[in-house]
Amino acid sequence: MKKAVHYINQFFAGVGGEDQADHKPEILSELAPQSKLLDSKLEDCEVVATIVCGDNYYGENIEEAQKQIIELLKDIDFDILVAGPAFRAGRYGVACGGAAVAIKEAYDVEIFTSMNEENPGVEMWKKQMYVFKGGASAAATRKDVEVIANAVNKFIKGEKIGSADEANFFARGNRHIDFTPVAPASVRAVDMIVAKTTKQEFQTELPIPKNDLVPVADSIKDLTKAKIALVTTGGIVPVDNPDRIQSASATRWGMYDISNVSTLAHGGGYPTNFKTIHAGYDPAAADADPNRVVPLDVLKDMEKEGKIGSIDSHFYTTVGTGTTENEAYRMGLEIAEVLHEHKVDAVLLTST
Amino acid sequence: MKLQFKNFIVKDVVFGNDDSFKDGILTFNKENAIKFLMDADEHLVSVNLEIAKPGDDTRIVPVKDAVEPRMRVGDEGYFPGVTGDVKKCGDGVVHALKGMSVLGVGQTWGSFGDGLIDMSGEGAKYSYFSELINVCIVAETDEENERHEQQKKNTAIRMATLRFAEYLGKITEGLDTDNVEVYELKDKKDRNPDLPNIVLVTQSQSQLEEAGYNALLYGWDMNNFLPTVLNPTEMLDGAYVSGSFMPCSSSWSTYDTMNAPIVKELFERDGKEINFVGHIASNLNVSLEQKERSALFVARLANMLEADGAIVAEEGYGNPDADFIACIDALEDAGVDTVGLTNECTGRDGLSQPLVTLSEKANAIVTCGNVSELIELPAMSKVIGNLESLARDGLSGGWADDDKLGSSVREDGSIIFENNSSFCGDQVLGWSKKKMNEF
Repeated sequence: MKKAVHYINQFFAGVGGEDQADHKPEILSELAPQSKLLDSKLEDCEVVATIVCGDNYYGENIEEAQKQIIELLKDIDFDILVAGPAFRAGRYGVACGGAAVAIKEAYDVEIFTSMNEENPGVEMWKKQMYVFKGGASAAATRKDVEVIANAVNKFIKGEKIGSADEANFFARGNRHIDFTPVAPASVRAVDMIVAKTTKQEFQTELPIPKNDLVPVADSIKDLTKAKIALVTTGGIVPVDNPDRIQSASATRWGMYDISNVSTLAHGGGYPTNFKTIHAGYDPAAADADPNRVVPLDVLKDMEKEGKIGSIDSHFYTTVGTGTTENEAYRMGLEIAEVLHEHKVDAVLLTST
Repeated sequence: MKLQFKNFIVKDVVFGNDDSFKDGILTFNKENAIKFLMDADEHLVSVNLEIAKPGDDTRIVPVKDAVEPRMRVGDEGYFPGVTGDVKKCGDGVVHALKGMSVLGVGQTWGSFGDGLIDMSGEGAKYSYFSELINVCIVAETDEENERHEQQKKNTAIRMATLRFAEYLGKITEGLDTDNVEVYELKDKKDRNPDLPNIVLVTQSQSQLEEAGYNALLYGWDMNNFLPTVLNPTEMLDGAYVSGSFMPCSSSWSTYDTMNAPIVKELFERDGKEINFVGHIASNLNVSLEQKERSALFVARLANMLEADGAIVAEEGYGNPDADFIACIDALEDAGVDTVGLTNECTGRDGLSQPLVTLSEKANAIVTCGNVSELIELPAMSKVIGNLESLARDGLSGGWADDDKLGSSVREDGSIIFENNSSFCGDQVLGWSKKKMNEF
């Protein structure tokens, strides 16, 4: 018999509504009603605990909340985590995914959740777990829980969960060959061109993700007064890599004080020297002279010559290889926040 | 131009004293056949012939090309510009031995673009050729200059495969059959104005600068090539000969072009749901400028053919995706509704971007496989060719050693490799009954 833990928010735990959204993580003394429902739908698997966390508490204390959740689960033996369903509740969806990913990292369990297509959590988490397509509100509880339970049951039996369409989860960019018999490609292609040229509906077999283009920023009116920051995905860090940024598939970034540094090359004035920890390119040239990835030396010259106003007190760095779009987006937002605080006018973004 | 196939359905192939085709049995004299092949090319050091049938517990590797036995009535040299003079094809009467192919197989050495066929079991689903009776030319050559190259031209074995397809085709000379297939492009005046005009665009492998590796059209190396218009019957009638360098699951064998299901399907619907207006032969290029030039020419030719829609088929993946997407963009920009026909490279974990470049205009794609799908197969009791070549010789889907997976070829004869080395496995010209899905 496998064991599952169920993560829900304060509302579905019966703790309270919006007024209790600051509720800290706890394990309920008795399974919540939704957890019992889930338990009744599972074959060869029992729900052993309901863990609850207030949506606001999670959102405002992400790292702390995750730590507490992991700590609370440390004596519980379980194989599966089900979070939600979160329906259309945005903060709940964000928390379900975030908590589930943290729990998976800590305990290596399979994670499942369910959200409505309009829940912002879908875009955030669909690539990292099965996010099943759920209803808009709690009226869909029974159905949504059943969809999750069906998938968990398949997983426990060692059966394949099936394709996104079959099992009703949001496509997560995990594409493999499907040998389910279909018409030959020649027939599919001609069917599709007939439909397309006669303005009938058709469905592409390779949906192209929407182009998420960011509009070009306004140009710098006067570069001689502008404050410039250096940001890189080239993995340049102090040699001891104090923030333990990963060499590939990074989830962390760092900012390092260069206000008293004239060059990133050896002997540049920083107490430690710099190197790259990026695993996606030959590090020889970057290690020999880190300025070639983060061109502080040239920027210093330009500052001296009065071509630019000033250089930001820090440079910002992470690793771009294998890093998921989601993580890159989050780190970008976080770095941009600091850049705003530092009143930076423009960024020199270097890649490799 | 009217192409008439006389189809001789092959139920079995056997070695015998004489050469004959009777009651569906193709018989030929093995010694004479080997002598014919050896006499035709001094670069063949040794040749053996083996027959592999569907259901056999047999693995064939390294396979270089597949060809259907054919004979053009009243003419020698079936493949124009390659085995015969540069003469028009796609017109007249042609004999075809159906249900079988001739395979060119290395006795020892493999090459990047070579593939693997299992005649039965789990592995059979990865290649169309597991469904055919395959006469295998297993040969050693004296091509020492490329012996240790990962990319080989394999000219001697490839030419032998073409010649032997003609040799077997000729056994039907003087015979007749009621099984006739006719393909003919309608005159413009006979088109139905209420139906959309559809053109086929094919992008053949042609990215090696040196001659000898690329697909040939009437013998012309398609690297140095600008898109041109063909009558669709030409592809079915030996206008193309396959190249040697493409990762094999993405590759189109000569057999694939000679039977191109997409061409046959477009003829099938012609006059009913569409007007089939022609075939634009395009290529795959090295530089961005070349890619854009080919795309531009394809779009212009499609407009001149008054096409409302186009189907673009890509032979390859990775860098060729840029040609594929550029061509779709150019056609859509020129007002031609376009469907793309391709495979994907989503990685062993399935998480990589499916094509190296994407466009929102490519909103209608039929997709046939993941080149990097990991395949693990048990040993087969018989190997035709050389199993070790899969691991040793740099086949696109094989490896000599891997930290986690070990060698592609294990001591017990079981194998682990990427779909990349399934022989013409993704069947983008239209056989493919598999697709890609989100899991």
